[in-house]
Amino acid sequence: MSIVALAAESEFEAPGTSTFWQPLIGDGAFAITRASVVILLSVALISWLLLAGTKKMSVVPSRKQAATEVTYDIVRNSVARDIIGSRDFLKFLPMLFSMFVLILVNNLFGIIPPIQYPTMSRLGFPLVLALIVFVVFHVVGFKKHGFIGYWKSLVPSGLPAWIVPLIFFLELVTDLFTRPVTLALRLFGNMFAGHILLVLFITGGEYMLVNGGFGLKIAGAVSFVMAFVMTLFELLVEFLQAYIIVLLSALYIAGALADEH
Amino acid sequence: MPTEPPTPPGSTSPEDGVPNAEAHHAWRAFAYLLSGPLLYGGIGWLLDSWLGTQFLLPVGIVGGMALSLYLIWFRYGTD
Amino acid sequence: MRTMSGNIAILGYGLSAIGPGIGVGLIFAAYINGVARQPEARGMLQPIAFLGFALAEALAIFGLALAFVFR
Repeated sequence: MSIVALAAESEFEAPGTSTFWQPLIGDGAFAITRASVVILLSVALISWLLLAGTKKMSVVPSRKQAATEVTYDIVRNSVARDIIGSRDFLKFLPMLFSMFVLILVNNLFGIIPPIQYPTMSRLGFPLVLALIVFVVFHVVGFKKHGFIGYWKSLVPSGLPAWIVPLIFFLELVTDLFTRPVTLALRLFGNMFAGHILLVLFITGGEYMLVNGGFGLKIAGAVSFVMAFVMTLFELLVEFLQAYIIVLLSALYIAGALADEH
Repeated sequence: MPTEPPTPPGSTSPEDGVPNAEAHHAWRAFAYLLSGPLLYGGIGWLLDSWLGTQFLLPVGIVGGMALSLYLIWFRYGTD
Repeated sequence: MRTMSGNIAILGYGLSAIGPGIGVGLIFAAYINGVARQPEARGMLQPIAFLGFALAEALAIFGLALAFVFR
């Protein structure tokens, strides 16, 4: 990044997609980028936090255990049990909880100062998570309705016969393409756009403060205030995106498990 | 074990007897809105590039949207 | 003299997304109001809310699709 050399430049480099490509070792497709290091760090942090929170479990929880319980309860009660139903939500709870905690911690890394890189802003990570959910909910649907019955249940009854093939293709495309792709793109788009906004406000404010006339210096200060406001907004968006992706995964699984006529 | 409400007869949407059925309906309706223009616009675009015409892509997008709206009306707009 | 370059299609899409955003907000504000005043009306208001949402959102999706088509 050219932030250190910015005072000597006369051009402002606006953030774009190249802001996210930060290889540390090597280059090209197999480089070890900052995103891979951050996600490994997040996995280590999550394992440490969860193990420490459940080490000596008692009925009257200590503070660490209470914090872990609150997070676990959000996913278990208000997402998994309320949506999938209390009969078979336990089978899917590990996947949902892991996704929630992984996405939340990685999102929060986007605003924590030493790291400040949301790994979910690289498309590969949300894509893999969406792919896992895609495989899970289709396999669940196949096991429940049988291979042929699953496709037959896509078309509602009572439609005029000439429109049934068109509607069938429409339903097929929503189940096979739109649902997993929007799951990945929603998370990716929110994290990508939020990070670009923050980088723009902060580097733009710094550029204006250093290289500007008097009016631009005021604008630079305002830009830093905006960066602070956007950081708070980004915090809200990060929680919301992690919650929504887990909510939608539970909805898709519950839909596949439903007794369709 | 709580029982789920039975699927009402003549229901036109999947996930009718499921708890939280409205959330299912809402997200499915939104997914139909996206997939209709995408699928039929894509088919129109492919046909355009094979046949060399210009108008099939907008026809596909609008037709796909009309089909999606019809499906949403059929599934969730009538009772 | 600095110049800005880009694509006016994205600008057009941004402007065209204002209308459906306000429209969907109004529809769901009415739905929430109706359900808050009379919770038993929830089943009757719901199909109307979904239909209204679909119609208002259709224009936003047209805008998105055409912004990519006319790049």
